[in-house]
Amino acid sequence: MSATGKFTADILTVANEKAQSIVANAETETQKALSDAKSHLSREAEDVVRNANTEAEGAKRRHISEARRRVKLKEQQEKSRILQGTLDQTRQRMTDMVRDQSSYLPYLVGLVENGIRELGINDVTVHLNQEDLKRIAKAKLEGEVGRKLGKPVKIEYAGRPIETSGGVIVANSDGKIRIVSTIEQTFEALESKMLIEAGKILFGD
Amino acid sequence: MSGIETVKVIVEAEREAARILDMAQSKATAVRAQLDLQIQQQRELILQAAKKHAADILQRAEEEGKVEAQNYEKASEATVHDLVTKASLKKSAAVERLLGILLGGKG
Repeated sequence: MSATGKFTADILTVANEKAQSIVANAETETQKALSDAKSHLSREAEDVVRNANTEAEGAKRRHISEARRRVKLKEQQEKSRILQGTLDQTRQRMTDMVRDQSSYLPYLVGLVENGIRELGINDVTVHLNQEDLKRIAKAKLEGEVGRKLGKPVKIEYAGRPIETSGGVIVANSDGKIRIVSTIEQTFEALESKMLIEAGKILFGD
Repeated sequence: MSGIETVKVIVEAEREAARILDMAQSKATAVRAQLDLQIQQQRELILQAAKKHAADILQRAEEEGKVEAQNYEKASEATVHDLVTKASLKKSAAVERLLGILLGGKG
């Protein structure tokens, strides 16, 4: 080969080597960048799945929690229904008792006696409902109260009936101090206590 | 070969060398240009698969949660029923106790 031929061949050899190197570098760079990107994307994908797992746990917990809430609500409704039924039945028993003179009169005696004790006087006015005003043996009631208190008492009966299903209002002579012991008032005053007591009996272990 | 011919041959060889390098640069540029597209394709592929997997996990959890909730409610029905039955048996005793409170001011 002539010297010129060798020189030009060297030029082309160097050019080809450099060309191969340029392309190889570009490919290496690209592969590395792609590999880095894949690695980054894998982490992103893991995050997506991890978040989904967390969300899934939350979703399951939410379903269970809602079910528990529904069950609790149902249980509370049932308890409330039974308690209300118990109160209604008690109220009915009170109404039955009011109709039965043999048990109602001692009850009234007790109420009047307590009223007099609370007022601390012997001369009182007793308020009754219309039916009781007609049917109650007033002299007997006064006598029983006096006997229980161990002293004579003077009971005056208010002519105007009170609106109640039973029970009494015991007042001093001018009516300014009143001990209200009607069935409705007694129920209202004791309702919270009765609910607690009934709850203990009905739902206690 | 005359001197002029020699120079011509060398110039021609250098032109060829320049063309080879230009081609290599073009190829390298093309390879690099493909990178963004490849990354984008990989991104779509990997994230789409992950999203599909995530959706499956969520759907399965929803279904499992519903089933567990139904089972819990079903099991609790018996408990509530039992509570009602036991309470009903004690209702008379409770009424007596309440009457005691009302009539005797006990408690």
